[in-house]
Order: sequence, then structure tokens, then C-alpha cells
Amino acid sequence: MSLESRMAKKTTHLKNDFQESTDLALFVRTSNEDMDGWNRQKIVAALVRETYLDVETAERISKEVEDVIMSSKIGVLTSPLIRELVDAKLIEYGLEKARKMHTRLGMPLYDVDQLILRPNRENANVPHGPEATNLTLAESIKKEYALLSVFSQEVGDAHMRGDIHLHDLGFCDRPYCSGQSLEYVKKFGLHLPNAASVAQPAKHAEVLLAHMVKFSATLQGHFAGAIGWDAVNLFFAPYLRGLSDREIHQLAQMMIFEFSQQAVARGGQAIFSDINLYWEIPKHFADVPAIGPGGKYTGLTYADYTEEAQKFVWSLFEVYLDGDASGRPFFFPKPLVHITEKFFQTPRHQEFLDFICKVASEKGNTYFVFDRGDTAKISQCCRLSFKLEASDLADASQPWKMRYTALQNVTVNLPRIGYLAKGDDTTLFSKLTDVMELAARAHLHKRVFIEKLLALGELGPLSILSMKHDGSSYLRLNKASYLMGMVGLNELVQIHCGEELHQSNKALKLGLRIISHMKIVSEKLSKKHHLKFVLEQTPAESTAYRFAKLDLRYHSPASGAVVKGDLSKGEVYYTNSTLLNVGAPINPIERVKTEGLFHPLITAGSISHIWLGEAKPPAESLANFVTKTFHQTQNDQVAFSPEFTSCNDCNKTSRGLKDNCSYCGSDNVDGITRITGYFTKTSIWNKGKKGELTDRHRNAELFTQKMNKVRNLKEVI
Amino acid sequence: MLVLKAFWQKNCPRCPQMKTVTEELKQDGYVVEYYDLSTVDGLAEGAYHSVMSAPTLLLVDEDDQELAEWRGVVPSPDEVKREWAMM
Amino acid sequence: MNALIKKDERLLHKVESFPIKGFLETSLLDWCGKLSAVLFLPGCNFRCPYCHNTELVLQPHKLPDVSMDYVLRRLRKFKGWIDGIVVTGGEPTLQPALPSFIRRIKKKNWLVKLDTNGSNIDMLKQLIDEQLLDCVALDIKAPLNEVDYYRATGRCFIIESIKECLELLKSSNIDYELRTTVCPGLIDKKKLKQLLPQIKGAKRLVLQNFRPSQTIDSRLQHLMPYPKEYMQELGQMSEGYVNELRVVE
Ligand code: SF4
Ligand SMILES: [Zn+2]
Repeated sequence: MSLESRMAKKTTHLKNDFQESTDLALFVRTSNEDMDGWNRQKIVAALVRETYLDVETAERISKEVEDVIMSSKIGVLTSPLIRELVDAKLIEYGLEKARKMHTRLGMPLYDVDQLILRPNRENANVPHGPEATNLTLAESIKKEYALLSVFSQEVGDAHMRGDIHLHDLGFCDRPYCSGQSLEYVKKFGLHLPNAASVAQPAKHAEVLLAHMVKFSATLQGHFAGAIGWDAVNLFFAPYLRGLSDREIHQLAQMMIFEFSQQAVARGGQAIFSDINLYWEIPKHFADVPAIGPGGKYTGLTYADYTEEAQKFVWSLFEVYLDGDASGRPFFFPKPLVHITEKFFQTPRHQEFLDFICKVASEKGNTYFVFDRGDTAKISQCCRLSFKLEASDLADASQPWKMRYTALQNVTVNLPRIGYLAKGDDTTLFSKLTDVMELAARAHLHKRVFIEKLLALGELGPLSILSMKHDGSSYLRLNKASYLMGMVGLNELVQIHCGEELHQSNKALKLGLRIISHMKIVSEKLSKKHHLKFVLEQTPAESTAYRFAKLDLRYHSPASGAVVKGDLSKGEVYYTNSTLLNVGAPINPIERVKTEGLFHPLITAGSISHIWLGEAKPPAESLANFVTKTFHQTQNDQVAFSPEFTSCNDCNKTSRGLKDNCSYCGSDNVDGITRITGYFTKTSIWNKGKKGELTDRHRNAELFTQKMNKVRNLKEVI
Repeated sequence: MLVLKAFWQKNCPRCPQMKTVTEELKQDGYVVEYYDLSTVDGLAEGAYHSVMSAPTLLLVDEDDQELAEWRGVVPSPDEVKREWAMM
Repeated sequence: MNALIKKDERLLHKVESFPIKGFLETSLLDWCGKLSAVLFLPGCNFRCPYCHNTELVLQPHKLPDVSMDYVLRRLRKFKGWIDGIVVTGGEPTLQPALPSFIRRIKKKNWLVKLDTNGSNIDMLKQLIDEQLLDCVALDIKAPLNEVDYYRATGRCFIIESIKECLELLKSSNIDYELRTTVCPGLIDKKKLKQLLPQIKGAKRLVLQNFRPSQTIDSRLQHLMPYPKEYMQELGQMSEGYVNELRVVE
């Protein structure tokens, strides 16, 4: 039951109570938007129902509260105020447990005022507007609810202190993120519980696209984070047979515009969507019977649709290359191109690679996901990916079964452990184990809670995740992962041994030992709790900022020396996950190599970012770099991030982050670049990210034109 | 100074074979370090050298640069000695 | 020829102190399609107003030296990644020991690209004859006549050398490209129209837009570069004159 309706029900309930006569001429504004006469018995009823206090104590408390009210000159009495007074009494009586159960969740007037008037900086994907405010208000209450009711006090406190970060607490009643297959939509159509109408399997490509977009929007309402789609160009292919190049291009255009303009969904947030793409037909799908129009098998296998699949993915990148009407890059859906061994044996792969590298250089959209050897992955979040195991690859013959979820993401504040360990190895590793055990407990709490919601089945809040078109529920809970993230490995290493990851081999090896430890502990915990705990590089859009701020409060002065960014402006942050210092002028080869050493340890996915800044390297050189990264490192994923200035007056977009439009000189401009996993306007970044942006710059200069370089050489050497 | 790093794992069918070779080299005075990939230190060292499977034998110099490597294969003692001598 | 090499060898011991003033370990920009390292050599006989390497050209002694040993040691780490080394400046051909320097790089099996302004045809010829170069980027600063070149570089009597360099590259079988910095005031459509027939048949032309930062002539720091549309128009004009064209906006 939502909180609002519970509150409403509660007040109705109170009204129906026996009305005790009272000569008070006092009226109460109830949560039910009406005025009610003062009635002390309502306090008693609420206490007895919500807290298990005995009637006698409840009576005594209600009388005392009544005395307080009578002797005061309160003019407007509201039910929240009464509740606060009752809670104060409970504290006086030492009834702490009862007080907690009787707590009211809500927000101060001032905060609501600020919220409605000012933009949200926590998640740059949220625009400012009435819908967004609704989202934030709901989130804030659910956050409190989660900390009181979903998680234990111990876990809640650790979150509040910043030992760990429980992601998306405001979405505590949904799983974290998901990856799906178009085959589900193709086979079963759009057949959602509670929906007004049922759509049969699509017969045409545009209808399939409409289903995909609608289903994504529905899923966005049921997951906190990203909605990923596997092998999109491949699964569309059977619908494209016989279409002209122009029609395919139009479909590509529709897909990207549909997803990037879905700013009408949840809280005005665009759907955080990922589309996974292949040039070759991945081994595990090559011989799978293809599903085509009407959800029927076409009699061919996916390998037979290579041509259509390739045309479609090429068209998608043509659209990305053009950008939107004013030449800005599309923010969503993010295209993740999987590079496999087979890729390099597929005809015209070089041509395709050069092309997507051109898009990477010009617009930055392309993500290069490396699936070496026999690994296959679905990537979906900022950097989260699901490695497919043997049983999953067996599922591949029935791809609609390939639905994955990560139930929750808990991130560990690594530098915090450094302050506590005071240079002692044993303390460091034992504290790390402790905090991971705590994170595991947080996951268990969430699991129990989600199970409770799912148990309500098709009548419950997660009905869509319980639908069973293929015999098992849409959300395959038994396959769920539980993410253990990390922030600030670089700073932990710096605190513990005095050098940052890139500064010495000793520091790097310490970093590897810490992550190895985390991996082994998470494996042990998985065995112990029968849950799949996996390490993930936290996107940490706001976590890196939050941890840094909290450590400045609790671990000053030590933290002052390691926190990155600009302390005087409050633009502070820790380095994301296991990345190297973003501001250090590290040669991009060393960056992908060194960061890549961590990737095999981090099962749920990693990425290296190369900040391009203004530079626009030739596509062929990027392709060269990408190919070598595949063959010569263990790096999981790379993306290149250029920067743009988009003018609000003349609507043109130019390269680099500038204060003025380079066409018309206007200063009414937006800077655009990649935040953690996606592109946004820099004006809405939180302070920590702003600090990081300033630091990224030095690095981008590695790519600037030759004539410019000499200035920076001293730094590079 | 050159060092041989031998990465092994429990239940690995060919690791004992590698161990015979490295033990023989040890007898002859070569420096051998063992790393168990199921321990933190072994895994970390393995990650540093991108060791994805056992058995793996690496010949590294004092800067931890790999001079020769046998990944998933077990060399003969003579082969290792030859590589060593070349450095 | 032999004498030349001999003279060079006498300089060999000096290679240790061969002046490298800058070392960029990795560049994705300086050699199209390749990953390269870039070495910057001091001094230049031109004074292009838009040149960004002010210090390197005017006061190279102010920049610290980078030792060749250091460079080679660092590059060893990037074997398999870096394809080649770009030797640039300033103007590298001003260094008499350049051939032996490049010989030393080639011995380590690196590919070499030379950036030159074309003022030293003799040295370019020697390097090419000795097969020391894998790619050459030749600056074409302006239409090939004394007046325009003087305006663009502040130097007279070098047109012959540049023309010869161009002919040499055209007739050789090594990879090469011509680079023209499109700086407002020096190059416009009219000038380009004059220039294009003079380089007709060349392999590759790179038109790169001017960037206003740290220029030798400080007045240019406030000059607006051409909009990208203009650059694209210049690109269209150039089609048909060269086999390959790249426009860097
Ligand atoms: S641009 Fe080149 S040729 Fe002109 S002054 Fe600078 S270094 Fe010399
Ligand atoms: Zn403008």
C-alpha cells in the first residue's frame, strides 16, 4: 500500500471511531483534507494500532498531550503536529521503540519550498519540473521508509554515516536494474497485467519498436536504474527483410528519437536505456531459430539475417553521427557495441569499426564492450554488465528467457577504511571484510522486502514483474545479482601507502590486493548466503561526492589531503571505483592497460573513460587504439568522451566547453559532456562532479593539436 | 634480478606438472615464487600480470616486466633455462 | 654520399645530447590511423604568425632537455601499441644530426614520420634516399609564390626548396601528406584556389583550422577561427585536386 493511501485510510479509520464528547472548540486539519473536531481517542487508537502499547499507557500519553495542547495557544492544529507531540511524549517515557513505529515520514515546509523552486542536483538525468518534484518528494519519503522499515538500524546508520551507500533508496520497492530480450516482446506481444488493452505480437517493425518503447517505459516504473536490451539490431532483423535502406534508416531514426525524447515518463526522466549491438552474429545466437512478424518462427536462423542486422546497426550509427536537430549528441539510448573474436573475422569489420569510431570521435556515443574468449555479456547500466554463464548460454536458444536483474547496489566507501586502518594492513583487510558483510546484510534485507512484494503476485505492486507468459515470472529472482560497488580505491591506496595508483607499482599492487580481497570475500559471502554477490564499478554519480563530503566532516584533517577537487568551492569528490586519478596526465594507453588490470576481478562490469575534450582524433587512429585494447589488455569496456557547447540562442553546437557560443558569441550556452555513464548538460551537475570536470581537462590535452602540446609536456613527462 | 613466477590453483590438472618443472629449476638455483590464485595475494599478483588461468609461468625482471611467459602450457626446464640465459 | 654518412657518424656521440625539447608519449592525432609518440625539436627558420609553439621556436633554451635514453626506455613499455614516432618541431631539418638521430630510432624498429616546413630539400632527400622515413608531412603555408609565402612565414627565397620537396615526395613511393593551416587573413577561398593547382595530384591534403591560443603573433589570439561550414566549403573546393582529403574543423 502506498504511504498516502495508508495515511488516508488511517484517518478515515479514526473518524469512524467512537466520538468521545469533548468541549474543546479546537479543530484539526487531517491528512484527509478536512477539518475534524479534537478527539483525544484518536491518539489512543493510533498508538494501540501502530505500536502495540497497552491502552492504559496510550490513554495516559494522550491525556498529557491534550494538556500540552490546551495550555498552549496553538491556533491551527494539524495531525502531523499532534503526532510530533505524541512522539515527544514517547521519548519522555523512554518508549523509543514505540516512537520509531509511530514515526511520521515527511518533509519540512522549507525543504519542499526549495525543492519546488530549485533543480535537483543528485541525478543529472532528472530535469526540473513539477513531475520531477513529485518524484523527489516521493523518493524522500520512500528513502526514510526504507531506512526505517526495509533495512536494520545498523545498516541504515552505516548508510547515513557514509560507510556504505545504499543506492536508490527512494526506489526501495523495486529492483535496481534489468536487461531484457526483444524476443519476449516479439513472442508474447504487449500483454501487461492491469493494462487496459492487450497487444498481439507485432507484425511490422514500427509496431515492434512501439512495443519496445512502451515496455521500456513500463519497466522504468518497476526498476530504479537502467533498462537494457540485448542484441537489438539482430532481433529486429527478421522484421527488416524486404525493407528499403531508406525505411531501415527511418526506423533507426525513430528508435533513437523515441528513446531520447521519452522525457515524459517517470518524473520527467528520460528512460535510462541501453541498446546492445553486434556487427557479427554472436556465436550463441547464430543457429537460433529466428522469430519474425506475428511472433512466429520464420524458418531461418539468425545467421541468415546478417545483412539486415548489419544494415540496421549501420543506420543507427548514422543517426548518432548526425545528432539531434541542433547537432548535439543523443543522450539516450546508449549504444553498446560488443567486440568479440568473431568480430575480427567478420567481413567489413574494419569499415564498421572505423565508422563507429568516427561517431565516437565526433559525438562520443559509442561504447566499446569487449567480450574476449568465450564470454558473452549484456551490458545495461552505466557500466554494469551481466556475464552470461553456461546455463544462460543454454537459454540462448530461447532468447526470451534471457532476462537479468541486479536487485540492489551497495557501495563501499573505501577511503573511510583507510582513515580507520591508520596504515595497518591487518586492520585494513579486516575492516574491509566487516563492511562487506554489512553490505551483504543490506542485500538480504532488500531481498526479503522484494520477495514480500512479489509474493503479492499479480495484485501486488510489482505485478508486471510477476507476469508469467513463459511459465516463470518475468523477474527471475533466482538469477538476480547483488552488486557490491566501490568508490575511491585510488584514495584508499593513497592514504594507506602514500602514493596514488598511477604513481608506483607498489601502490598499484596494493590496489589489486584490495580488489582481490573484495572479490574473494564476495565469493565467500555468496556461498554463505546463497545469493550472487558480484563486484561492480559503481557509477557513483553522487556517491563519490557524498562520501568525500562526509569524510571531510568525520575524518578531517586527514581527508583534506586526499579528497580530490576544489575544497574552497566545495567541489570535492573521490575517484570513481577503481579508476586512476582522472586529473593525472596519464597516457591513454597506460590508462586502459592499468585500469584494465582490475576489470577481470570486477565481474559485473567495468569501463575506462578517455576524455577527449576538444580534440577530434581521426577515426582510423581510434580504431587502431580500440583494436589494440581488445587484443592486448583485459579491459572490459572503453568510451571516448568529447565535450560540446550548445547555444540556446542560435541553436548551434560547437566543440569544447566554452563560456560563449563560437557562432554568435552568446553566453546563453549549455556545456555537454559525459557525466559517469551518459551525456548531460554540465550545468545540472552536482558539485563533486563539477570538481572532477575541471580535473579531467588536463588529461584531455593529451589529445589536443600538436602545436598546443608543448606547454603540457613537462606535465606529461 | 630475474624471477620465475608460478601461478597455480587447487584442482588444476596440469599444475602439478608445472610444479615438477619449477621445483627442478629451484634445485638448480633459479628463483621461483609461487602464487595460489585462490588467495588474495595470488589473485592480486595474477591480476597484475593478467593471468587468466592456471598453470601460468612467467619470467620477469626486477621491474616486474614480463620477459617470457607460458600461459596454460608447461615448458620443459631446458626451455626456461634457455629463455633465462637469453636475458 | 659516403662522406655525408661519415660526417654524420662523427656527430653520433653527440646524439646523446641531441636536443629533444618535448616528448609526448601517445598521440592519436599526429599520424592518421596510427598511434604515435611525438618528439619536438627546437628552433625554426620560419615565423608563422599563427604558430602555437612560441617557446619552442623563439626561446628553445628555456625548455628542459629530454634525453634520448629516457625516450627509448619509456617507449619500450609501449611496444605493440605505438606504431611509430613523429619527429616534429619547430623545424627538425635544422638539426644537422637529424639523420643519425633517426637512424638510431629506426634501429629500434620504430616507424618514423617527419613533419617539415620544406625549407631543407637536401636533408629531406638524404633521409628519403636512405629510407629513414615512413611518412612525411609537408607544410604548405600559402600559394607557392614569394609574396604569399613571405606573408605567411616571414621568410623569402624558400619557394624553390618547397617546390622541390613537393616534387620529391610526389615521385617517391613513401606515404606523405600536405598540411595547410587555414588562418583567416592568410588563407581564404581565393588563396586556396591559387594554391590547389600548384599541388595537383598530391596524395593527401589536410586542411586544418586555425586555433587561437598561444600564437607567436599575439594579436592572433583574439582572432575568430573560420566556422566549420566555411571549412567544409574549402574541403569541397579541394576535391579533385588531391587523392585524399581531410578537414580538421
Ligand atoms: S608553424 Fe611550424 S614552420 Fe611555422 S614557425 Fe611554427 S614551427 Fe615554424
Ligand atoms: Zn549561438
